Amino acid sequence: MRQPRFRWLAAFVSLGLIAAACGGDDDEAEDSDAEAEDGEFDALAFDEGGQCGTDGYAGNLAGIEAVDDLTVTFTLCEPDVAFPSKVAFSALGIFSEEQLEETGGAPIDNPIGTGPYQLEAWERGNQIVLNAYEDYWGDQAPIPTVVFRWSEESAQRLVELQSGDVQGIDNVGTEDFETVAGDDSLQLIEREPLNVFYLGFNVDKPPLDNQTLREAIGYAIDKDRLIENFYPEGSIAADQFLPPGIPQYEEGAEGYTYDPDRARDLLAEAGYPDGVDLGVLSYRATVRGYLPQPPQVASDIRDQLAQVGITVALDEQEEGAFIDNANAGNLGFYMLGWGADYPDATNFWDFHFGVGASPQFGTGFDDLHEVLSEAGSTTDEDERADLYAQANGMLMEHAQALPIAYGGSAVAFTSDVEGAHASPLSNERFAAMSLEGQDQLVWMQNGEPSGLYCADETDGEALRVCEQINESLLGYEVGGTEVEPALAEEYEPNDDLTEWTFTLRDGVTFHDGSTFDANDVVKSYQVQWDAADPLHVGRDGLFTYFEALFGGFLNPPPAPAG
Amino acid sequence: MLRFIARRLLHSIPVLFGILLATFVIARVIPGDPCQAALQERATPEACADFNERFGFNEPIVAQFGDYAGDVLTGDLGDSINERRPVTDLLIERLPVTLQLSLAALVIAVIVGVPLGVLAGSRRNSKTDVTTIVGANLGVSIPVFVLGLILQYVFAKQLNDTVLGLPASGQLTAGTIPDPFYEVWGIGENSFFEFVSNIDLVNAVLIWRWDIFVDALQHLILPAVALSTIPMAVIARMTRSSLLDTLGLDYVRTARAKGLRERVVVIRHALRNSLLPVVTVIGLSLGTLVGGAILTETIFNLTGVGKTLFDAITGRDYFVVQGFTLVVAVGFVIVNLITDIVYTFLDPKVRVS
Amino acid sequence: MSIEEIPLSEQQAAQALPPSRRERGLWRDAFRETFRKRSAVVGAVILGLLLFMAVFAPLLAPYGEREVLISTEGLRPRAEPCIHLSVNWIPDVPVLRTAESFLESNGFSCPSDEPQHLMGLDGNGRDVFSRILYGARVSLLAGVAAVSFALVIGTAIGLISGFLGGRVDNSVMRVMDVLLAFPALLLAIAIVTARGPGLFNAVLAVSVVTIPVYARVVRSRVLSVREQDFVAADRALGVSSARILTHRVLPNSLTPLVVQATLGIATAVLELAALSFVGLGGDVDQAEWGRMIALERNQLFSSPHLVFYPGVMIMLNVLAFNLIGDGLRDALDPRLNK
Repeated sequence: MRQPRFRWLAAFVSLGLIAAACGGDDDEAEDSDAEAEDGEFDALAFDEGGQCGTDGYAGNLAGIEAVDDLTVTFTLCEPDVAFPSKVAFSALGIFSEEQLEETGGAPIDNPIGTGPYQLEAWERGNQIVLNAYEDYWGDQAPIPTVVFRWSEESAQRLVELQSGDVQGIDNVGTEDFETVAGDDSLQLIEREPLNVFYLGFNVDKPPLDNQTLREAIGYAIDKDRLIENFYPEGSIAADQFLPPGIPQYEEGAEGYTYDPDRARDLLAEAGYPDGVDLGVLSYRATVRGYLPQPPQVASDIRDQLAQVGITVALDEQEEGAFIDNANAGNLGFYMLGWGADYPDATNFWDFHFGVGASPQFGTGFDDLHEVLSEAGSTTDEDERADLYAQANGMLMEHAQALPIAYGGSAVAFTSDVEGAHASPLSNERFAAMSLEGQDQLVWMQNGEPSGLYCADETDGEALRVCEQINESLLGYEVGGTEVEPALAEEYEPNDDLTEWTFTLRDGVTFHDGSTFDANDVVKSYQVQWDAADPLHVGRDGLFTYFEALFGGFLNPPPAPAG
Repeated sequence: MLRFIARRLLHSIPVLFGILLATFVIARVIPGDPCQAALQERATPEACADFNERFGFNEPIVAQFGDYAGDVLTGDLGDSINERRPVTDLLIERLPVTLQLSLAALVIAVIVGVPLGVLAGSRRNSKTDVTTIVGANLGVSIPVFVLGLILQYVFAKQLNDTVLGLPASGQLTAGTIPDPFYEVWGIGENSFFEFVSNIDLVNAVLIWRWDIFVDALQHLILPAVALSTIPMAVIARMTRSSLLDTLGLDYVRTARAKGLRERVVVIRHALRNSLLPVVTVIGLSLGTLVGGAILTETIFNLTGVGKTLFDAITGRDYFVVQGFTLVVAVGFVIVNLITDIVYTFLDPKVRVS
Repeated sequence: MSIEEIPLSEQQAAQALPPSRRERGLWRDAFRETFRKRSAVVGAVILGLLLFMAVFAPLLAPYGEREVLISTEGLRPRAEPCIHLSVNWIPDVPVLRTAESFLESNGFSCPSDEPQHLMGLDGNGRDVFSRILYGARVSLLAGVAAVSFALVIGTAIGLISGFLGGRVDNSVMRVMDVLLAFPALLLAIAIVTARGPGLFNAVLAVSVVTIPVYARVVRSRVLSVREQDFVAADRALGVSSARILTHRVLPNSLTPLVVQATLGIATAVLELAALSFVGLGGDVDQAEWGRMIALERNQLFSSPHLVFYPGVMIMLNVLAFNLIGDGLRDALDPRLNK
């Protein structure tokens, strides 16, 4: 079979590379044996400052160094105001060097972390069982066992909750909010809508290449009608791309309002006085926080557009195919959305409209590129707010995406779960909950994780599980978005926010008993950062979040021609 | 007799080859790049070049089929792209679940269907006949996914705190991880033992844990009942018509003429012979159930063959689609073969054509 | 392959009907015989009701199939049924009075100044009753279409294959066996996934999956018929093969085909509903019963009327064809003593 052979090959190659690296080449990582011998700490350090701004490197990270066994310093090419927010993200969870080496850079099925829960068993398709880690550095988790199960049907999740087989569920169905709220044995906890649902256009595909036409569509949508009829309580009509709750949200922004007359006028101005046929509106039936009822919403949008003379047919695509098509820029007019990974504007803006953005919107706009680049590297919060307000105006003008709604959602627990909460980042922390009289809490979410090595996962279903197991240097407060210390007790930036020094907690151990130190931090980051590292493997090798958070990899594979 | 068996076996070979070819085609005909499907967000050309190389998608299609055929014959069904482990491992995990479910459904179908058929057949065209036939048909007419939801609503929700309460989904209570019997017994591990240990009911008995047995049984009841409605109607009908056939035969008339009571006539004389076609139907139903339990498995969250196959088709996990479809289809052919042989064996009146 | 028909093996199918019957008299007798059986009558009545609904839907439906009522009536989607019960012309019959009080106590009645929606509104604010009526068209049509297509092609294959015999016959039957070895629903899912979702593709998938059944039935008839004396006589007289096929074999095959087809429609309707349920059915807005259930399955507990009504309709549809098919089979099977 191919895979085991590949691993052996990788091991030999890595040994060879390490041997070659010791030749002292400037561009090679300078590393040494990381195991502490006789109490001596052999620090890992990587300095790539020379690569900043060069053609071959698009990233912002310039260096990582283990100053001593409990101190790590990160150096950046450009200042990054959001650095702490990013560091707290689950994709940057810390693994032990040893485990990374043992698993060949892919601890997908058996992650070992420092977190309050450790992985007991993963029965694929059935359940994931976590047990409380007794030597956790912080307060031990009150609930001894947490079991993750999954079902895509909200009705089934509710039945399980009501029957007591399960103590917590994710994504209560829109129509079930009332039922749960009215049931004394259950508690409904609403989740702040830290997401956005938008209608997207590929501006290169006629007739959608007509900016006036896109504006007309913007005025033709009655967002309030959609919110009232198809979204649960707590949902809000969108007036900009960022949801309230993201610090750079612009109060009183002017978005598209429902004005069918103006829509018809603009339509005529665009050259379609008698209406127009746009072809298809593509979407997938998958339920997301920003879109709890895809077919119903699609249907209603279609009807609303028909009222101003815009015809469109519905194209429900299968989930995988839909994402493929979106990422390849094949879709003309479609429904999609985005949920916050970390609480900063860059998470929303850059991925969609920044310089290296996905081709789903077609050709990007230079004015937006400029504003976003600046906003992402400025340190002055007021200046950033200003820049993002400008971006709002530009988005409204170019209208390659029409923000429609911020979707509320909710979790539900049985009433006896103390400390039950919902996280706006879908980052519920089970170690903060307690349950009297039972040693087990069963949580049912929408789907099963594909893997538990969060560095290489993007789906919230996976991230929620690995967040219980692996911790990052910082974390988000329970149920909120404020950053708080985790594996690092404190951090200190330099004056221009290009150097960040983290002081690590002492006495922390991994689930296998090994000690946590600065080298584990450096290694965990480095295997993601350096695409040429033999341990840069993961599940599919994309490390999407690292690239999104820090701009790019070292030694990236050559870009496609053309 | 032996010649018949030999001929049927020989006939099966091209069918099996056809199945091999068909499963290969099915997996390839599903649109979408396997790389895009597996790597989803931003599958770059380099990552895909790597991916395709690793899985051999770059070879000419005929070579790929050759590789595939060769691999299958040596027992290698490839690896699941999404789960990164051998398809055979997945099979060993999932097939027992479906088998357990199908057998349970079949047992229920027989226990209910045969008596219904006998009842209907022995009182032809009476109200009983009509009611039982309509009833049996009712079962098969309700879409199994609707029936499943209703059963969940009634037994998992409404009757929750009562003695009749049953779990809504899953195979065992969350958090339960029973020890495989071969570990408890201390004997070595092999694929066959693993397979058996994945049949929850059997494993529970083998490790003498009756609490787990009851748990597994409780989780099995609702899906098995839902699934049983499909073969139940067929079995009821078949029993009925077969009984009617037999009742018209000479020796039955003789028994009646002798003055035996109707019930004795039916049960003692007619029933035994009329059960023969029913046996065949049972055999065939098994084959169909194994592949067709997909909706039941989805609703009740059972990780069996059907659910895995469906997920694999939509998730473009080609090797799983190939491997599982192959096993199911081959299984069906084998069951058919055995059924035919058994039937011929039991009924010497059938001419070998 | 669906379970219902199962010509268990070629031997058994071949045993069925001696070929020398006079078909026309047989048909009339068969019909009479079928509907003497009460369950078949029940089936026929239900089918008649469904046909009536399908044909007269535009007249009977108070609203359009795709008419959204959110803006015009201001009602929320998934509104409960609202039935005007205070109509004076309802006769004072105990049954109706009980029904009325049942409906009232469950909150289904509403004053006459509110718009009436007998079955409530669906997730997009459309009248469910109207969609049920229009849905009869699609469900009946799709089921019949799927079976007709399979029937025509399967019969053709069976006729040609059986007649040609030899290696052609063997190979074709092997191919049919291969198709039959795959579970119907999974094969249908694979076909629809390959061709894309849509009602046409779903119908196509269901019919492709059923072709082998008819091919097999016809072929075994061909085999049994062509050995008969009257066929030898025909040949001696110089009758062409085509005529033999159409005039001798085909009429003889009609019996099991009709039974098979009727039962097949039942299965086809179920399979189409199943395809809709897994999201591979037709157009989102089309009033197709399986699709209506699929869209609202998560509202089973909060708004059961949305799943109940289409579910009952599918059930009646399938039941009708099953009962009629059973009746036909009973009537036409010569082995049963009358």
